[in-house]
Amino acid sequence: MTGKQPNSGQEPLYDTISRILRHNITSGRLPDGLVLIEGPIAKVMQTSRAPVQASLRMLNAEGLIHRFRGRGYLVGPALPGLRPIRKSLDEFDFEIPSSSRSALAVRGTWQRVYDKVEAEIAACQIFGEFRVIETELANHLGVSRTVARDVLSRLNERGLIRKGATSHWLAGPLTARTLREKFELRSIMEPAALRLAADWMDHAQIARVCDQIESGMTKDAAELEDALMKYCLSRAPNSALVEIITNNRLLLSAMDKALSDLGLPVDTVALDQYGTLFRLIKSHQIHAATEYLREHLRILSYKSLARLKIVALIPESDSIPKYLSRV
Amino acid sequence: MAIADLGFDIQHESLDFLTCQHRAAMDPMNYDIYEQCFHNLDIVWYWGALQPIETRRIKQWDNIGDLAKTGGISKYTWTGHGDAPVRKLYVQPDGTLGQQPMPTISMLPTAHNVDSFGYDTRLFGAEGPEGSSWAWLLDRRARGRIALVDEPAIGIFDAALAAEANGDLTFQDIGNMTVDEIDSLMALLETLRQQGFFVGSWVSPDQAEALVHADRVSVQSMWSPSYANLGPMKDVFRESFPREGYRAWHGGASLARHLTGSKLDMAYDYLNWWLTGPAGAVMARQGHYMTNAEGLREYLSPEEWGYWYDGDIARCDLKGPDGRIVVRQGQRRPGGAYRERVSRIALWNTVMDEYNYAARSWNRFIAALGAATP
Repeated sequence: MTGKQPNSGQEPLYDTISRILRHNITSGRLPDGLVLIEGPIAKVMQTSRAPVQASLRMLNAEGLIHRFRGRGYLVGPALPGLRPIRKSLDEFDFEIPSSSRSALAVRGTWQRVYDKVEAEIAACQIFGEFRVIETELANHLGVSRTVARDVLSRLNERGLIRKGATSHWLAGPLTARTLREKFELRSIMEPAALRLAADWMDHAQIARVCDQIESGMTKDAAELEDALMKYCLSRAPNSALVEIITNNRLLLSAMDKALSDLGLPVDTVALDQYGTLFRLIKSHQIHAATEYLREHLRILSYKSLARLKIVALIPESDSIPKYLSRV
Repeated sequence: MAIADLGFDIQHESLDFLTCQHRAAMDPMNYDIYEQCFHNLDIVWYWGALQPIETRRIKQWDNIGDLAKTGGISKYTWTGHGDAPVRKLYVQPDGTLGQQPMPTISMLPTAHNVDSFGYDTRLFGAEGPEGSSWAWLLDRRARGRIALVDEPAIGIFDAALAAEANGDLTFQDIGNMTVDEIDSLMALLETLRQQGFFVGSWVSPDQAEALVHADRVSVQSMWSPSYANLGPMKDVFRESFPREGYRAWHGGASLARHLTGSKLDMAYDYLNWWLTGPAGAVMARQGHYMTNAEGLREYLSPEEWGYWYDGDIARCDLKGPDGRIVVRQGQRRPGGAYRERVSRIALWNTVMDEYNYAARSWNRFIAALGAATP
């Protein structure tokens, strides 16, 4: 990606996305009644949400999809008695025609750039408060200031940076207070999402995770946390809730990653707890699983607070990128 | 001494606070026993570097004092803010540390003490019956002649106690400050620094003693053994008995996670040796207390016991661990007897929840101050 507009002369991204969706709907790959929501589509297409929004509006205008009482759109015309189908796109034979792939691939670069910046900005916050300098970010990424601004507004949307009093972008610090607040949010939202997701979970995958735990193949608590999110919590039929949960976890995962890079040994207690949790879910004991998840989060919060203390002994990393300046 | 008593070789390595904590957490394969304070324990424990100690294998367990086991020397005394050892002592079923008694502990309580600060009687006069106040540590009269200990789990509390005592700041829980409270405290210290209040900071006790010898300080953070090393300044520079209470610490020893079999047995022998008496007697002669005090009584002379533990007037000159006279006949220990002193603990040395934030702010302050160069 260069400073120049990368795909000048190409069609706008929302046209590409519309074309792909149209192809999948008209060919019958996506059944009538399937719920379409921006977030998951953006993920499959490796783009941001804005163009997906635009293309869903277009398809709505074309009558290929329609609005309903829930969030998102339903595939097909609005017929009485049509029941919403809440399933992930990858459960269908969703196809991205090769002609559209190259257009998306360029945008995929944007996604990779974004992911890198997101990881860097999340990781720096354990060291204190930083100002994100837009021009430096653009130089660092070799992109225009418009693109840099896009990246920043997405980070802002996800709660990783904020505007300071002087209109500068600020990140951090990740303090014990932030940590406590984030865990408090987790213990409110995640058990609620688990309960809501009860009828929508992917039990084949859950059984697979249970087998892996029992055979001792899983050695990493973060892996199980991701599985819980993917097969259980994110299935809750409330995409706004799922989105808040996802964003709330960003900083916490960044801290975990920073600590495991420093050599934090595997938390075997947490591994055992995930084992119990998945067994409860597998046997459909959702009420018990919800309570157990709450208790697990309480212990995790306590341990995370203690682990944050060791960060004090780590000198501010030299690898902090230049576009971040210490406040 | 331990080698002679135990019959096996022991390698001791003394490290500064931060290095010790860092090594203990990150490098647990390269030591067998970790000895530091209860307030340093959180970091090392939750890094998974230690294993629980079975109290049934500690011969003196029943004689260990209530200060460590229940939080105060009696159920009526206040435990103090911050990392009181009992709050980190017992290994709970979920692997966390807490005060609910359990059959295993995280760290065997050993030496401990209560600290205050040292002051120049030529400036502040005698303490009087009320005792002195932590407010003296940031007193305008001592401007330009104040030093603080540079350790973020200790020095920050000396400063906080002083700021609260003189009315500049209040803390909702001084043992677990909020980000805003830390900001206010560091802003106050920075203002005072700019006004030239501080002569510097010190890291090791001999630096603190050197500041006194050079007559460069009127008041500063100072620890118990240093008062025996002040030479001609001994009568001028005194240990405070603060009316707000002391800042306390409690040392201990823990077992590395990797120990098993005969090495684990030897480690238990070493832990048990700590509580046999001779070690506690050496500690007592530098002013520190041992958790099973009665167990070391026979290793001290009645005069030593009277002065160090009972708060009596010294009936003769008393020697320190290296044989030098550290207490003159006729002196009485500031603060008095063990029970009197440890029942007046305002707070413990603490690694607060916001330690990462506080330590970074503190280090910036110290860097601006520049280390004291006696």
